Amino acid sequence: MAAWNSLSMTTEGPEKSAEEGAGAASGAASASTGTRFDLEKETELRFEVEAGERVQLELLSGLAEIFGSELNRNKKYSFGPGSKIAVFTWQGCSVSLSGKTEVAYISRDTPMLLYLNTHAALEQMRQQAERDNERGPRVMVVGPTDVGKSTVCRLLLNYAVRLGRRPTLVELDVGQSGVSVPGTMSALCIERPADVEEGFSVQAPLVYHFGSTTPGTNIKLYNKLTSTLAEVFSQRCEVNRKASVGGCIINTCGWVKGSGYQALVHCASAFQVDVVLVLDQERLYNELKRDLPHFVRVVLLPKSGGVVERSKDCRRESRDEKIREYFYGFRGTSFYPHAFDVRFADVRIYKIGAPSIPDSCLPLGMSQDDTQLKLVPVSPGRDLTHHVLSVSCAEDDTGDGSSARGRGVLENPVCGFIVVTAVDTQAQVMTVLSPAPRPLPRHTLLIMDIRFIDLK
Amino acid sequence: MADEETSTEQPKLQFCSELLSPSEQFEARSRSHKIPVRGQKHFLPTGSERQRERLEQSLQEHWTLVGEERVERLGSLVRALWIPGEDVVELQTPAGKFWQTMGYAAHGKQRLLPEEALYLMECGNLQVFHHDLPLSIEEGYERLLSSGRPGLLSLHQYQVFGHLKRLGYVVNRFDPSTVQSRYERQLNLPQSRDRHGHHLKRKRSQSPAHRHAGDQTPPPPEKPAEEGAEPTPPSPPASPVCPDPPLSPPQERSPARGPPQDQSAGAGAGQGLVGGGRDGRTRLAGAGAGAEGGPECLPPLGLQEDPLPRPGLVPPRPPRPPHPPLPPPDPRLLPGALEVGECNVAPWLRQLSLRDERLSRRERDRQRQRSRYHRDVNDDRDVRRCRNWAEYLELRERRWSRRNHGDKPANLWNGSVTPLSQPGHASSHGDLLNQIGVIQSSRLLDDAVSLTIPSQWKISFDVYQPDTVADYKKSNPGKPYTRMCVCSFEGPVPDLQVVKSLSFQSGDVPVTFAAVDRGDISFYCFKDIQLPVDVCH
Repeated sequence: MAAWNSLSMTTEGPEKSAEEGAGAASGAASASTGTRFDLEKETELRFEVEAGERVQLELLSGLAEIFGSELNRNKKYSFGPGSKIAVFTWQGCSVSLSGKTEVAYISRDTPMLLYLNTHAALEQMRQQAERDNERGPRVMVVGPTDVGKSTVCRLLLNYAVRLGRRPTLVELDVGQSGVSVPGTMSALCIERPADVEEGFSVQAPLVYHFGSTTPGTNIKLYNKLTSTLAEVFSQRCEVNRKASVGGCIINTCGWVKGSGYQALVHCASAFQVDVVLVLDQERLYNELKRDLPHFVRVVLLPKSGGVVERSKDCRRESRDEKIREYFYGFRGTSFYPHAFDVRFADVRIYKIGAPSIPDSCLPLGMSQDDTQLKLVPVSPGRDLTHHVLSVSCAEDDTGDGSSARGRGVLENPVCGFIVVTAVDTQAQVMTVLSPAPRPLPRHTLLIMDIRFIDLK
Repeated sequence: MADEETSTEQPKLQFCSELLSPSEQFEARSRSHKIPVRGQKHFLPTGSERQRERLEQSLQEHWTLVGEERVERLGSLVRALWIPGEDVVELQTPAGKFWQTMGYAAHGKQRLLPEEALYLMECGNLQVFHHDLPLSIEEGYERLLSSGRPGLLSLHQYQVFGHLKRLGYVVNRFDPSTVQSRYERQLNLPQSRDRHGHHLKRKRSQSPAHRHAGDQTPPPPEKPAEEGAEPTPPSPPASPVCPDPPLSPPQERSPARGPPQDQSAGAGAGQGLVGGGRDGRTRLAGAGAGAEGGPECLPPLGLQEDPLPRPGLVPPRPPRPPHPPLPPPDPRLLPGALEVGECNVAPWLRQLSLRDERLSRRERDRQRQRSRYHRDVNDDRDVRRCRNWAEYLELRERRWSRRNHGDKPANLWNGSVTPLSQPGHASSHGDLLNQIGVIQSSRLLDDAVSLTIPSQWKISFDVYQPDTVADYKKSNPGKPYTRMCVCSFEGPVPDLQVVKSLSFQSGDVPVTFAAVDRGDISFYCFKDIQLPVDVCH
């Protein structure tokens, strides 16, 4: 399904480490100038990298981890501008930091012990599931924006995978996806701890096209894709015992009011979650407690003091960075995307969801809901420029678009993304940026609201 | 109050032998006899000076009117005697012209009903004596009206009576026995005229009427100014009622259902939270002990019990004892066989959600609504019985389908939407109209036979139009123009049962509802209307 996607990403591993080695050699001199931090047990070093700077981190002695991924001793990890990192140690360690940091301080006040306890509880459930031949815990992490949902997910996944589990990360945060480009909803099977710098290695993720950075633009579609993901995950659990025991950790959007809240409840029932971790919001906790049946354990957890609020610009930048990473690889060094022309006649471009019309204008007996899941053909034109398009896995059939086929496109995952860099209406061609050389593997394209301008 | 022009005529009556000087008499004669016009009422006090002045002026007018001395020629005053035991007024001197439309004869005497007597007193035609003393108007109101006794009218009824009389209508008490049954009407039987309780009056009723016909000026036939102020009454604004089936069941249903729901919601909201929290913890802890035999309990779940109750969101609950620190988890559960100490939860509990959530007003309103009306799903016993999602979802599915098929009539909610009529189905316009008529028409009198009239409702008066006064015969008044049911603005609005049953009782005479709001009277009636049918079939 997602072979094309993964194909374009697999090469990163070896290349990366080779580069790291070179970086370590060149940074040896600067290591002596770095600041040394000695951390007591159960404390963490928090630092932010200044804009346009790079910071290198080296573990000198002891054991330490970053969001659940252990650090190698005497290996230099470098973090790009804007990174916000917390190095935590259970046993005590000393690290050195070199480069310009905006802030760097040691904090004893971390909820790591609570998170670890949470992990222990989940692990216990996995053990029991293994013994009783049942399914493992399905965990939904919810909370408002900027409370560390993604970090908690990463932490729990890392701990689980370090114990040999195979949990699944379900990424429902369409704004800041940790798996694929923004505007998608995805599931990723975790087989090894996240790379300290890059995060989880993205191997064969299951990605669905949503098309926008907030669920509010088409909540119907959002709920539908949630259900689809849940269905696929359940199917996988049936055939793969390890995945079933590993359970899943669902990362959600920070939108927790109104329809966003309803989407959370819908997600809980679609995935049939066992545990809901509410980060730092009592109101949400109380409401979920009320709206979910008693066998779902709703747990309120504090957020870490190290969590930083991100501005709108910061979010947009990180979205941009994510798309760039898709095409050029981590830090824009490992992949070389292709640019080629695609004739309008060769592809069909759709948008999901017709523009909303007043009910009075709809045909009798039809409601607004029906139009939100409709596939609307987009005639290619100049306004396509810079839009990100998803290449749907749906089989290209020669017949013209019937509604049955339309459904298929919705429920089919995405095999990759392209960006339209130029449109020539005279020649009826558009130039696209693509991770793989021509031809396009499929010819059904779904347009996103998101645009990407290839500047760097 | 009743002053005499010449004291010599009645030397006995010393108490009212006050003499008026010629100038006083002249003043009394030339005084305007108009009742002050109320005009448009301002319902909302604006606090403005102008409004206050107008109010004062209007009040002043009323007080002047009430306090005014009434000067009447003694010769034109009819003397009468109030007989409390029988609730009637017996005339002692020959009646005036009013006899044509009022009063009756019994035991050889001319008698008036109390409300008639009071009305005539107010008009200055009658002087009623009790214990040899004339009643003042105020005393008249006190004695001749009462809401408690069946023989007397209530104040509201009298207000309607007086109002109609002043406008010139002929108003009689309504006697249910005089209404012809439908059967009688079909046979066209002569209408029997029996005023209940006064069986003898029929014999002589005619003679006195003729005898005194020309005696006096008629009771002030009403003033045009007043008619302008009030809408002409018994041809009231027709508010067609679209008759529904009798509506008792829904009222009975709601109270039976209401209270238990509220109760469970209220109690449940409090318990569900706390109880649920405890539940979850013990169960999880139990699982832990079972799995490992170790001492670890599932720590994070302790956090469910947060210490910061918020008014409006969380029902208040008693302060809980400080949370014990979480025991260290089993190293075997942790990556890298970590060994950590116990975790002190207390400081974290204090840090939780210290910051208020930023909500717009709309969101806050919605949230308040939700927290008020939304019930905890776990209050439901069936939900509590579910052990996992499969059972819960199945329960929901079952309920959903039951709700969809149970309450609602299947023909409306199930199946596809079909047109009411299709080309070729109707052979004539009439057919077509029948097919597209979703609501069947119904008459006011349909199904009214079996209805009983609620006790507080009754028809009070038969009303005859003023232009029939000349031909009016008390012995054979004929069919009333309308019948009047008096109700108060403070009282309940007549429901369909009342409207139907009263209309039925009244037979072919329409019933008008007179709603009394302090002094103001409005008239309402329900009329059967027939939509114009342009196609005959």
